[in-house]
Amino acid sequence: MQVFVDRTGARRVAARLVSWTVACGLLVFVAAVGGTLLGAW
Amino acid sequence: MKRTPRLHWISILLGLLVLMCVVSFHAYAAVRPEPVRHTGHRVELPEGTLALAFHGGPDPKWTPRTLERLHTAGIRATFYVTGAQVTRHPDVARRIVAEGHRIGLDGFRAEGDFADPLNVALAQAALADALGVHTRLVGAPQEVDSGDREHQDMGTLVRMSLTEKRGVVRLHDDGSIGGDIVRELVKVPGYRFVLVSDEEPVAASDRERFTGAVTTWSQRNGGLVLALFGTAIGVAALLGLLRTFMQLGLAHTDRRLRRESEEEPPPWFAPPVSVVVPAYNEALNIAATVRSIAANNHLADVEVVVVDDGSTDGTADVAEELDLPGVTVIRQTNQGKPAALNAGVREARHDLLVLVDGDTIFEPDTVGQLVQPFADDDVGAVSGNAKVGNRQGLLGRWQHLEYCAGSNLDRQILHALRCIPTVPGAVGAFRREALDDVGGVSDDTLAEDTDLTMAVTRAGWRVAYRPEAKAWTEAPVTVHGLFRQRYRWSYGTFQAMWKHRRALVEKGPMGRFGILYLLAFHLLLPLLAPVMDLFVLYGFLVADAPLALVVWTVFLLIQTASAGYALRLDGESLRPLWAYPLQQVVYRQLMYVVVIQSLITALHGTQLRWMSVRRTGRLLDAPGGTVPVT
Repeated sequence: MQVFVDRTGARRVAARLVSWTVACGLLVFVAAVGGTLLGAW
Repeated sequence: MKRTPRLHWISILLGLLVLMCVVSFHAYAAVRPEPVRHTGHRVELPEGTLALAFHGGPDPKWTPRTLERLHTAGIRATFYVTGAQVTRHPDVARRIVAEGHRIGLDGFRAEGDFADPLNVALAQAALADALGVHTRLVGAPQEVDSGDREHQDMGTLVRMSLTEKRGVVRLHDDGSIGGDIVRELVKVPGYRFVLVSDEEPVAASDRERFTGAVTTWSQRNGGLVLALFGTAIGVAALLGLLRTFMQLGLAHTDRRLRRESEEEPPPWFAPPVSVVVPAYNEALNIAATVRSIAANNHLADVEVVVVDDGSTDGTADVAEELDLPGVTVIRQTNQGKPAALNAGVREARHDLLVLVDGDTIFEPDTVGQLVQPFADDDVGAVSGNAKVGNRQGLLGRWQHLEYCAGSNLDRQILHALRCIPTVPGAVGAFRREALDDVGGVSDDTLAEDTDLTMAVTRAGWRVAYRPEAKAWTEAPVTVHGLFRQRYRWSYGTFQAMWKHRRALVEKGPMGRFGILYLLAFHLLLPLLAPVMDLFVLYGFLVADAPLALVVWTVFLLIQTASAGYALRLDGESLRPLWAYPLQQVVYRQLMYVVVIQSLITALHGTQLRWMSVRRTGRLLDAPGGTVPVT
């Protein structure tokens, strides 16, 4: 088994969850702020 | 290869975009341009009716004083504020509204920039955050100028304010005189005072409030973000300079010591050698590789063992058809490079083993040079000098420069510190005893060469560098190929560092210097690099462009000079140096993208497979590389 490889898959699930949360949060954030300003522009 | 995680790139790009916007907005809001007056609509008021309109605020010192004058006089006025000032002094803005006065907008940074809808949106956002309202009073109407910017004499100011005996009177609350005019105007009989508009501001929408919270935070904390950027740049610059000085200093010392040893060279060491060539789908290169090894001028027996690791392109057949003396070809099912190396080592007859990739061309004296350090019984492994054999095109030149100015200089530093972390798969030699001590080549990582070298060093063997042992290797010819190769190297190096992390608490140079060196320059520095790029972009686009250009040019010159020195040390032509500055725009970014991707993959725990790079078999810059490889 290679170094770093997640044997159980739990780390991968957790990392994906964090990835999705951060990416979605940032997308909503950018859409809300950018939308307001660009909408006015 | 399993699908590698990619979603994080959206987060990283968006995060960098947000950071860039925060610092840019902070800089934008900090600049207060000259006000530009726009004559707006006309507000018809009956004779003897004045609407006092204040501009330039809210001001923490003078607006409260003006409010006190208005309170004393018992009149209400209209305050045309700017958004940036509202963010700076929200309490004053709240007091204006609390005391019954009307709020209007002059713009975001200065009076008059309401002509730009984005500035109006920013100003409304600031108002929404401070007061929770949205005003329709944007831009002052036509006004009677009180002259408070030009004159000091109160009689003149009052006379000017009453020129039309009606209308909106223009005053300022960012100085003392506005309030004084109010005090005098209310003394003039026959006038009553009204607001510019009776229309109340409406409640701001949630989105406007949210945007306001963000812009307010950016305006207030952008400086802090910028300071963090600056710190990151400082650390990166320090690391970069440290590496350059270490490279130059140690490489120079190393060369000097070598020259001194050349004056009284030790007796030539000529033990028998086995060369192990693991190969997987190397049909294009294997013939040239084996021929170049077989054409060695070593003074003792050189046996070549080609291990075909289940190739599907006839690699083994090509090697066998060469029918060269001393060359053995063994075949195995595909088990990976470490297994192929171990099989070759088992098959080999001699105790000094040169391990070489199937796409590498040796010079006639490479084998002989490579084994010289083994004259010292403490030496367990020797790294040769890998050179790019295909330097055509920008990508080839960049890799050539990186091999010389990066890897080889690094290797000289680490040789001086006695902690070379990687004997490259392209050209390296091991003592069989050292390999036995560490249990052979492990498949725990994707960088089996780094893993093996670290293990050998930790086992107490010395690892030497022999720059004279040159081997020419085929560098990837496409960006995609380069990415795959570097991804594997970088990820494999991190795996090896993690596997050998205990070296940090052990005695010996690997923990004291080797792993720390890799941590500083192969992990931390690349991770800081995107911030540097962002900062440079910020410098050029938002801040002081000439200063950014000077700083950037100085750094580039230092790095280019260092690269030039590395080329000279390696006996290479300085001609490809022109391509070095161009590295800053694609190549460097690719290198840190690789490191970030490796780190994310490690965190995800994804199993990566061997990533082969497409071969062309064209090593035009290698000696004999132009010979057709049939």
